Amino acid sequence: MIDMLDARSHLTEEERHAYAEGSLPPEQAPPAEAHLRACAVCASDVARIRTLMTRVHGLPAPVPPATLDALWPSIRARIEASKVVPLPPVALQTQARRRVRHVGAWVAIAAAIVAAAGLGVHTNWGRASPAVAVADTASLIAVADSAHAYEEEAQMLLNQLELRRSMLRPEAAAAIDHDLRVVDSAIAELEEAIARDPNNPALRRLLASSYRQKVDVLKRVGNAS
Amino acid sequence: MAPVNDVEVIDGVVRRAQQGDVEAFESLYRTHAAAIFALCRRMIGNDAEALDLVQHVFVRAWERLTTFRGQSSLATWLHRLGVNVVLEQLRSSRRDAFRLVEGDDSTFGSRSPGGQIDARIDLEAALAQLPGGARTVFVLHDIEGYSHDEIAQMTGIAPGTARAQLWRARRALMRLLDL
Repeated sequence: MIDMLDARSHLTEEERHAYAEGSLPPEQAPPAEAHLRACAVCASDVARIRTLMTRVHGLPAPVPPATLDALWPSIRARIEASKVVPLPPVALQTQARRRVRHVGAWVAIAAAIVAAAGLGVHTNWGRASPAVAVADTASLIAVADSAHAYEEEAQMLLNQLELRRSMLRPEAAAAIDHDLRVVDSAIAELEEAIARDPNNPALRRLLASSYRQKVDVLKRVGNAS
Repeated sequence: MAPVNDVEVIDGVVRRAQQGDVEAFESLYRTHAAAIFALCRRMIGNDAEALDLVQHVFVRAWERLTTFRGQSSLATWLHRLGVNVVLEQLRSSRRDAFRLVEGDDSTFGSRSPGGQIDARIDLEAALAQLPGGARTVFVLHDIEGYSHDEIAQMTGIAPGTARAQLWRARRALMRLLDL
């Protein structure tokens, strides 16, 4: 205790640091000041601690290396890897941004393509030339497989969501349900369109993308909770 | 892409990034990467690990961005996220990172073997010489302004241990800087 100090005693380590940084309890400050006026050892030590703190407060931020800017491609790659399907290449991003901005915009486009398919209108996406027919067949199989994989992952995430539902705020749960209904509605429409036109690769890609969208929504819910 | 500095524009960029726009997120990276690097560099003590942690922080930020509600600035939110990522790294790679080792304080923070401290040594270099736990507590308290209770909560050590680590770090720095 500071008020027990006599000429042979010193402030404790805690008291010196607390006094230097101004965090000593108010009732302990006067006896500490009295001691510091009388004790050159403690006064000198407190002054040194304060000098250090002054230098620390004036410390400029470390200069980032030039490689900091070059980190972005790696970060982007890790973000892409965490998604179910890769993002489009950087060169195509501007077009892609116009096409797919968020769930609502995406559903509008999906609905338009579904409607086009229903009317028997072939999009450029869906038109396969003989030269690429074999590649498109393989692509169709791959896209169908990926849609199946997304569907399974979405179901697993849905099960996890149900387990956590009681911990969600009602408004958050309602927002999630709304987003999922929007995506599910698009999936249902796409599946109907594919049943009518099973060899349309554009529809199958959209179905895979819609499952990916559902997985992304569910993953974000998982990350947020 | 040029960094975005205008607060109102950043709000819009954050919203776009929350909706999954990677280019918007890249803009946030360009704006905040230097500050996150500075935090990681001081807490971890070297450039290479700090750069690796910057990647972890921004990948985590992308995953958690929907939880950002604007109650603090994005810089503050990212800063706290950065602290947590660095502490996780310290805990996973150095199990005794925050353990206070009893004994001779001269085991760290001592002058160079030649007896003369390098005149070029500065505070940043001195900080890098501190052991992980002491450096982390010092950076969190004396540079970043967290209280001992907050540090205890973040690191899982007792507030008393956090204080002792801080005093130890200060003593070592005073020796290194010849104060």
